[in-house]
Amino acid sequence: MNEIIESFQEVNWPLIAPILILSLVLMIVALIDCIKHDKTNGPQWIWILVIVFVNFFGPILYFLFGRRND
Amino acid sequence: MRSQWIILFKKEFRESIRNFKWLWIPTVFVLLGLMQPITSYYIADILEQFGGLPEGTVMELPPPSGAEVLTGTLGQFSQIGFLVLVLAFMGTVVTEKNQGTLIMVLVKPVSYVNYLTAKWVHLLILSLTSFVLGFVMSVYYTFLLIDTIPISQVVNGALVYALWITFVMTIVLCLSALLNSTAFVAFATLGTAILFSIFSLYAPDLMKGTPGMLATYSQQFFYLGEVESGFWISIFVTLGLILAMMIATIFLFNKKEFAKDVQ
Repeated sequence: MNEIIESFQEVNWPLIAPILILSLVLMIVALIDCIKHDKTNGPQWIWILVIVFVNFFGPILYFLFGRRND
Repeated sequence: MRSQWIILFKKEFRESIRNFKWLWIPTVFVLLGLMQPITSYYIADILEQFGGLPEGTVMELPPPSGAEVLTGTLGQFSQIGFLVLVLAFMGTVVTEKNQGTLIMVLVKPVSYVNYLTAKWVHLLILSLTSFVLGFVMSVYYTFLLIDTIPISQVVNGALVYALWITFVMTIVLCLSALLNSTAFVAFATLGTAILFSIFSLYAPDLMKGTPGMLATYSQQFFYLGEVESGFWISIFVTLGLILAMMIATIFLFNKKEFAKDVQ
């Protein structure tokens, strides 16, 4: 465990930051859209879980399959 | 005539801003473009920490070259990127057809040419913008972290790959206009793209002069800076096919009866 913590401290954060920020942007936009719409394809709470917990692919899956276009 | 086209184009644009396509598709491409050079840079550390190798294993990984990383980025775009683009746009005409909105549009004196080309141009602008943004980020990080390669090679390779994206996106639009099921549009488009890539990988001689070789040619630009013979034939065949598909679709779309598609 200590090794992992050390390796986290060694990580070059400025390098990783853009990835983290963009993933976060993607997640927040998907989340806002999901909450604002009353109807989604399938239960809304499952989509919220998918968006928050499935890293990177969760928001994409929501935008592709979760939105209703009407 | 031209103002009608602009109205239809603006409608497409507004629609995909409203459903966030202009936000999330470029973001996905930028993320894909960033991840490739960064994981290549950290691959030795990642394997050491999380690879589950036995204690004391000495890893001797040769550092990847810049061309390798850029090829890897295009590989990501070809897999996840194409999947996202095709799934996002498979319904571009089909859903309008099935929901009945297409009839509402075409009841008015709207020309099929304008309707389809407005969709086509918008689709290309969105997918090529996403590709360029993602690829620029990838090139920047590759140059920063790994290796530089002459910028002219990068630009040439990217232009060739952009033509391949154009080709695949044209297939999406044409099939979406002609078929009645979104799933089948996605299946047929991705199937065509995969068949082209597999054949050009295993039987390059057979595929000489087809669109399938374009991805290979862009890799050759990255690695060598020059391409083998048959490159220009491929380019012109692809351009010809794109034009032929658009004309054929507009012609067939004209003949189709829409009324029976809507209950």
